[in-house]
Amino acid sequence: MTSMNPTGGNPPSLAVNIGGLVLKNPVMPASGTFGYGEEYAPFVDLNRLGAVVTKGLSLEPRAGNPPPRIMETPAGMLNAVGLQNVGVRAFVAEKLPFLRGFDVPIIANVFGETLDEYAAVAEVLSRAGGVHALEVNVSCPNVKKGGLSFGARPDSVAEVTAAVRGSTDLPVIVKLTPNVTDITEIALAAEAAGAQALSLINTLLGMSVDVERRVPHLHNVTGGLSGPAIRPVALRMVWQVAGRVKVPVVGVGGIVDAEGALEFLIAGARAVQVGTGQFVNPRATLDVVDGIADYLERHGIGDVGDLVGSLQCNPLP
Amino acid sequence: MIDRNGEEMDRSATGIVLSNREAAPGHFHLALGMPDFFADPVPGQFLMVRIPDRVDPLLARPLSVYGHARQAEWSRLELLYRVAGKGTALLSEVEEGRTLQVLGPLGRGFRVVPELRTVVLVAGGIGIAPLTFLAERYRALPSPAGKREIVCYLGARCAEALVGLERMEALCSRVVVTTDDGTCGACGIVTDPLERDLPSFPAGDTMIYACGPGAMFRCLAEMLRKAPVPCQVSVEERMACGLGACLGCAIPVRQGPDAVSYVRVCKEGPVFDIHEPDWR
Repeated sequence: MTSMNPTGGNPPSLAVNIGGLVLKNPVMPASGTFGYGEEYAPFVDLNRLGAVVTKGLSLEPRAGNPPPRIMETPAGMLNAVGLQNVGVRAFVAEKLPFLRGFDVPIIANVFGETLDEYAAVAEVLSRAGGVHALEVNVSCPNVKKGGLSFGARPDSVAEVTAAVRGSTDLPVIVKLTPNVTDITEIALAAEAAGAQALSLINTLLGMSVDVERRVPHLHNVTGGLSGPAIRPVALRMVWQVAGRVKVPVVGVGGIVDAEGALEFLIAGARAVQVGTGQFVNPRATLDVVDGIADYLERHGIGDVGDLVGSLQCNPLP
Repeated sequence: MIDRNGEEMDRSATGIVLSNREAAPGHFHLALGMPDFFADPVPGQFLMVRIPDRVDPLLARPLSVYGHARQAEWSRLELLYRVAGKGTALLSEVEEGRTLQVLGPLGRGFRVVPELRTVVLVAGGIGIAPLTFLAERYRALPSPAGKREIVCYLGARCAEALVGLERMEALCSRVVVTTDDGTCGACGIVTDPLERDLPSFPAGDTMIYACGPGAMFRCLAEMLRKAPVPCQVSVEERMACGLGACLGCAIPVRQGPDAVSYVRVCKEGPVFDIHEPDWR
């Protein structure tokens, strides 16, 4: 059979542009599932990733929640880690030097309990050198005073977005929570306030109960649901948002393999993040990169950008 | 986790099930054939074991090493586990010849002290698994001047739940059994006979190694606060990644009178000094 490959045998181009940041491929780890990169370095050549996304960083170190912090649920898991992190200054001093040794864009995930804290964290990271973009967590559902209050309302999402934009020259990606009534209005508010890209979804708020003892499985009672269980929900939200905003959308939620990642790209995501999937396959990100490349070759698509948003909802017979 | 060049290395492998049989009601003994590159585990280290190609249950199960023997071009890895939920129930049904995804050995194992004269093992239930591997390691070491004594205190719910007793008896000078219901050995908790015998162990030449439930560690910690003997414990906690990234297995450690911080069982542990974790 003659090949229809328009690339003439050249490997397909996987590069994408996320709000001004060029990635060599559209695959990155999701924040909070990759530590600060060190833990996965034995398994993954970080240089082969589209980007590295760090664990969420706050101005001061955070101890996190008491155990139990996680519980497995059908095709997924709940976590209530409580945004444990070393704090932005220790990140810059102790973790960033390791990451600077790689030829990969570093996206630092930031959060705060006040607008000033968001701005301050963004400022420290912008001055550090070696951070290429910021991802703003407006959505972590675990900490009572934390994300949810910002991420659940268009006006507060806009405020956070503007505060971070005002404190950095780096591209700003706003990561949205799914725990809202209409995610498109939140997405539009973030875009209007200056977000150069959006990533979605963060975990879905959930819980699970030990019926023998009649206690919650998590010390925090509720936690964030992740894993394949949430993928259809994430995909639906990405499709909705990508159809409404002009900025690039990064699809996150339950991706464990290339097929899941391709669903998001076809539905309109320009890039994807692999999170919980890495817990069961430390090399999941690279397997997804390779699987996307195979798919593009198999379908004779020369540029991954041509796949983005190619979903045909009512194809003619 | 460190190779000969001092580099951290990839520790994922596929194991072939050689046998997977019920050793006691609800307890299984799994033997795996591992590829040659599978690294030698230190007693107390663990593995993330997963049935491949499934998303439900999704996560691997952290299981400690029960035994490991290197062969010509492969190695035989043994695990002893209790069926505690859906994941281990499915694992118990995996038949000979099937493959399992194995990540490891992971974490920090027990510190072995070659010149030690008295090795005291305290096992609660399935906690016997890493301690058996440790006893084997001590037996393989040349004895210091005089004789090395390995004593095991083994506690279980009932006689039926006593797993791995024979193998442990073959490795130890003495095994003291307790059960909650008195169906085997003395009726009571495993720390009772230990407390009684503690003064008879040579001071400065004894190490206690323990693995079991939290209640056992609490008892032990309190006892050893009054009568200090060095003690290493292997802690069990739910884990998602086993690599230090998810922070799901964190346990509290005391940082002064009021402050608490969290350490990862998978990375800083699973073996800790008994007084390091905050057992409250």
